[in-house]
Amino acid sequence: MTERLKLAFVVQRYGLEIAGGAEYHCRLIAELLSAHAEVEVFTTCALDYVEWKNHYPEGETVQNGVRVRRFPVARQRDVLRFAALSETIQTAGHSGQDEEAWMDAQGPYSPALQDHVLKAAREGLHDALIFFSYRYWTTCRTLKPSRTPSIMAPTAEDDGLYRLGLFRPLFEAATQFAFNSVEERHMLETSLGRALPGEVVGVGSALPSTVDGAAFRKRHGIAGPFLLYVGRIDLNKGCPDLFDHFLRYRKETGSDLALVLIGRAVLEVPSDASIKSLGFLEEGEKWDALAASMALAIPSRLESLSMVTLEAFYAERPVVANAHCAVLRGQCRRSGGGLYYSDHDEFREILSVLEGDATLRARMGRAGHAYFDKHYAWPVILEKYLRLIDAARQVKAA
Amino acid sequence: MSIEIDSKDVDVRKIMSEIRERIAEKKRGLYTDEEIREIAERKLEAVLESRQFNPDFLKDFKTKSEVWNYTFQPDTIYRTSRGGMGGFLATIRGLLKPIQKLFWNPTPMIAALSRQSDLNQYTVQMLHNLTLELTRMNLEVQELRARLQQTDASLEELRKRERALEALAVLKDEPKP
Repeated sequence: MTERLKLAFVVQRYGLEIAGGAEYHCRLIAELLSAHAEVEVFTTCALDYVEWKNHYPEGETVQNGVRVRRFPVARQRDVLRFAALSETIQTAGHSGQDEEAWMDAQGPYSPALQDHVLKAAREGLHDALIFFSYRYWTTCRTLKPSRTPSIMAPTAEDDGLYRLGLFRPLFEAATQFAFNSVEERHMLETSLGRALPGEVVGVGSALPSTVDGAAFRKRHGIAGPFLLYVGRIDLNKGCPDLFDHFLRYRKETGSDLALVLIGRAVLEVPSDASIKSLGFLEEGEKWDALAASMALAIPSRLESLSMVTLEAFYAERPVVANAHCAVLRGQCRRSGGGLYYSDHDEFREILSVLEGDATLRARMGRAGHAYFDKHYAWPVILEKYLRLIDAARQVKAA
Repeated sequence: MSIEIDSKDVDVRKIMSEIRERIAEKKRGLYTDEEIREIAERKLEAVLESRQFNPDFLKDFKTKSEVWNYTFQPDTIYRTSRGGMGGFLATIRGLLKPIQKLFWNPTPMIAALSRQSDLNQYTVQMLHNLTLELTRMNLEVQELRARLQQTDASLEELRKRERALEALAVLKDEPKP
């Protein structure tokens, strides 16, 4: 009988309450691999991602079959200092010391976690260490060359941070990379001037057993067709532009289309009868909403993968994405499941075309679903991760 | 970076290029009948709005000059509005002027406020003229657009006639059996 693989994940936060981003991505992969390997997660006690306040108790716990070991954050993030240092590192003349200071301010600062991961890597206790998100202290200060094979899921966005000299040794240290998209890989390889070992993996999704669009409409009193947005309602996600484009679209075309928002609002939603903000909803509700919607809008400029885009593909709903995000543009082109706008004219025409052509919507929906099945179904993701682990072990063995 | 296209059923690039072509066509003025009607209505509204602009704008401003504008003379800051008592107060202020000048020099402030007073007048004048000019140009654009449409229609008519005449000419030249 072959021995079970022993894997450890390193991530800045981990918990069932975290429903998006790299942390959720990490949890899905950890749970996926836990059926095939002995998996543990090294993380901090933080839940809040602004100041990294300790929330979870320190120590070990088991969540969905995964052993989670949490270490305290020794110093909360000083938001003002972090903002000032973020400005500094964007200037041309900044020093290496500025970058180091920025990383320490970035956090989550947890020397106990650092000691534990470095010791585990040194002693070769695992078949592979899998690090999520290159930009956080937890990865930057713990991913070092060691006898243990390492895999990094960079989850890099096109914000230029990856160009900092601080991260060069980090990218050197990783044995293999699990990229989220072709565009992410290209962006990092161009910046580093060399090919990086690994493959484009991404992540699957917790798929629903049943969906009921009609029930969603009934529950929320929505009768007509609607464009759906899922995620934090935030400036950084491009929501103000979406509101503006959408309201202008209705005014210019006389369309009855509504905009339904699902997610926590951190900015004011325009008080217009055509925009309905439902707040944070359960996972099942999201799938019902997708089934009931005409299309999904993704107005964000910075996305490393956009899991909700993939979920819309699975739900056979076309995506209307921001063309300024190379990852979203690429996903739309490759899949055939989405269109992308770079200004209001394109937004208006895309919505007009989709609203007026149910056949095209259905064709795009089918194309998106086929793309999801081919690249993001769980067996495909599992196979890719097992291949990456194997490749990382072979590199170390050589 | 090579992008492998998975979808055989939907060519997103083609759809996007068609969408851009539609936008470009609209910008060139190739509208549908319905859109032309809609735009014509909107333009009319815009013109009506600009016509609501008060041509006596400047006159009104001038008649209520004291509300928005001020005349500023070197002795303005020493004046008072308190009638007979005011005259006395102004005299006292005049006498104290040399002492007050020991504390601060009002001359630069007086000069600046005088210049500001002139600038206010020029700004009002310019704003008035610009609004008038904009209104005039708006009407002119409307007029030109209508004439362009008429010219296009005439041109199309001429082309049809030309094609019909060419067809007749060919028939005439053909050898009779």
